[in-house]
Amino acid sequence: MESFEVFRHVTIGQYLPGESLVHRLDPRAKITVVLLLIAAVTFSTSYTAHLALLALTLGLIALANLPVRYIVSGVRPALPFILLLALMQLFVYGEAAASAVRGSAVLWQWGVLRVTAGSLRLTLVSLARLLELLLLVSLLTNATPTTSLTYGIESMLRPFARLGLPAHELSLIGTIALRFVPVLGEQFETILKAQASRGANLRFGGRLQFVRSAQQMVVLLVPLFLNALLRAEDLILAMEARCYGGGRGRSHYVRLRLRAPDYVAMALALVFTAAVLAARNALP
Amino acid sequence: MNSLLTIRRIVVAGLLGAITILLGATRAGFIPVPTPLGDATIMHIPVIIGGILDGWLVGAILGLFFGIFSFIHATIPMFKDPLVVFLPRILIGITTALTYRGLRRSNEVVAVIVATVVGTLTNTVGVLGIGVLRRYLPLPAAVGFGVAAAIPETILAAIIVVAVVLAWRGVAARRRTADL
Repeated sequence: MESFEVFRHVTIGQYLPGESLVHRLDPRAKITVVLLLIAAVTFSTSYTAHLALLALTLGLIALANLPVRYIVSGVRPALPFILLLALMQLFVYGEAAASAVRGSAVLWQWGVLRVTAGSLRLTLVSLARLLELLLLVSLLTNATPTTSLTYGIESMLRPFARLGLPAHELSLIGTIALRFVPVLGEQFETILKAQASRGANLRFGGRLQFVRSAQQMVVLLVPLFLNALLRAEDLILAMEARCYGGGRGRSHYVRLRLRAPDYVAMALALVFTAAVLAARNALP
Repeated sequence: MNSLLTIRRIVVAGLLGAITILLGATRAGFIPVPTPLGDATIMHIPVIIGGILDGWLVGAILGLFFGIFSFIHATIPMFKDPLVVFLPRILIGITTALTYRGLRRSNEVVAVIVATVVGTLTNTVGVLGIGVLRRYLPLPAAVGFGVAAAIPETILAAIIVVAVVLAWRGVAARRRTADL
């Protein structure tokens, strides 16, 4: 039995505090920029576009003073799978990728396995996308406290409230969830210890697989879910007792204000994304 | 007060969402044969429970959480594609809730089990299916992974979901008849 401290490994896209330009931007600006860049990444298939995007995302990470090595190290455990899938894409998709991704020139062939310019592009672009998205998401979560993110998201969804989207309620769900993660984490550890002390068979296999069988999971998960549902009942009662009335007409203590750097960042992202998407087919 | 998102739904979605985040963050894996779907193995369970206990909207929102988590923590190209990650996950909650609602009248336990199976398969088939359509995986590999992952996932989910739902019904009933 290695350790009961499950919670040590919990990182929810860990916030790394700092004073960089990126840290100080309004969360709404950051979300907008990241969403635009994600669109640019997802929809480009040209080598040029991805080189530019890689340079841009690495540059942004540097601007935020975030440790690139830390971010990229998350990929290490999955490296064998990434390679396996990349190889499969490379060799098996020759035909299919030919028309879809520009390139029917056969580069290499051996029996059934065939590499075309198309499948090569597909594979390389997929790998580039992986890195870019990893960096972009890290940029958002590592440089913004989670509470700011939820305020930002709620603020951005608020205009849609007029069309019936329950912006406030949705962000409240997010806030409640984040609020209860440490509580339930502690609860989970307690359950772990309680069950172990009652003789439950729990064999730990390290960080990635700390329980091995369905039975072991059941004795841990069922109490966890029931505990969560009981806490939910208490919270519901508390909110009703305080006459919680939803989001309509609600004012806010925390106010987000967009300033010049925010507008500049969003404008630049918009221009960049538009350029990348417009030139999609023109570049190699 | 939004009539669709009642306090009950908000709070339950929040709490089950917290479990989803917790399971995702601690990477509680199960399948001894590591597949690329490693982190999907039990994270679909809160979504299914939410769908059964509180309806399709809660299920869909929890599916969104699952998707967000999958997206953030994924290190495989296929799982960085928003379409692969979000669409099937949001559907898990909806298909589960609808199946449960439909079968509930005949037999409660059967309804829960079938709804769980439908939900788990929505996840596995959905994710792999869109992966194939978007050309991340060739079909034979997808089928292989799918079968290897779906069977343990479904069985485990069914056991846990039935246990939780039935236990909760018992607890909730006792609470309602509690003295005040």
